[in-house]
Amino acid sequence: MPNPPQAAELILRALLPADARECVSGDLLEEYREARVPSAGQFRADLWYWRQVGGIWLRAYWWLVAPVVLLLAFFDTLNYVSSPLGASFGLPTGLPFAVQPPLVAVGLVASAAAYGSWRTRRWQGGFVAALGVSAILWSFAVVWSNATFYPFALRAQSDPQWIAAWHWSTEHGHAPRSDTFLNWLYWDNVGSLIIAGLVLLVTSFVCGGVGAILGEVMSHRRRRP
Amino acid sequence: MAPTTSSSGFCRCDDHAFLEICDYNVVIVADILGSFEQAVLLAIVRLDDGAYGRAILNEVEMRLERDVAAGAVQATLERLERKGLVRSRLGSGTPIRDGRPRRFYTVLAEGLRALNDARKTHESVWRGFPRPLKGRG
Repeated sequence: MPNPPQAAELILRALLPADARECVSGDLLEEYREARVPSAGQFRADLWYWRQVGGIWLRAYWWLVAPVVLLLAFFDTLNYVSSPLGASFGLPTGLPFAVQPPLVAVGLVASAAAYGSWRTRRWQGGFVAALGVSAILWSFAVVWSNATFYPFALRAQSDPQWIAAWHWSTEHGHAPRSDTFLNWLYWDNVGSLIIAGLVLLVTSFVCGGVGAILGEVMSHRRRRP
Repeated sequence: MAPTTSSSGFCRCDDHAFLEICDYNVVIVADILGSFEQAVLLAIVRLDDGAYGRAILNEVEMRLERDVAAGAVQATLERLERKGLVRSRLGSGTPIRDGRPRRFYTVLAEGLRALNDARKTHESVWRGFPRPLKGRG
């Protein structure tokens, strides 16, 4: 008998609450083997299975991720429309403001992990929640930074700090001497996204692990009479 | 606030949390069953003793004539059970499911009442309109 992708099956079982795990995964397996593979072939049936797993993840955790993504987009938009000379709309600036988005991301990943393992009563559930949240945050960052690159560059080209950073990079050999500001800024953005992805991955494992264990302990307490 | 009747015959009761249609004396409350909830409940009624997750999913897909996510059906079943409209019991597994059990659902009296209320409201809202509905635009 054909089997769905092993990774998808593992994620699905980690994602489902204890009382639904066997029945729901059994329903999907039955549909996969009896209907999807015979009618659409293994590859399309595998895609269907992945889609179902993704849908179950989104239904469980969208409410955690959506407000944070909207908040980050809102603050970033305010950043773009502030004065080219750096005056903002009374928003806090400097280091405290710079560390807020990463702190929000770390807090969100840890909360998702704790909630995920509490909900599924397994630390694996928390881990899947944390990894999923990180993947969505990173995907959002990639799409958002590319979509808003032009207004960001417009603002950055008249910001003395960005100009100084560009000069420093070209003078210290981090970028070619002939590099234009726009080109340098683009690759700086790409580098930031790669670093952000790695940081989020490490955060998922560390904070996700802590949150997942915390959530499992809480779910065990909940079960006591 | 007194309702004001528009040219279409509907009333506007802006200070109420619900829509009141004066012609038919019907009140639609906010916590009425959603259309997807109705589809799932009706699928359970139709399937009778055979109403388990996958069968309900297929029935809903067939009636709505579109692909439906298994997660959406599962979440709806859990919500309906929490509301006390359906009850579930575990059944045995089969080899095609690798022996994993099936969860069978039954609509309770409260669920049937909710379905009947939803139907009554639906029919009242549409009564008097030609089919298909034609607008001015």
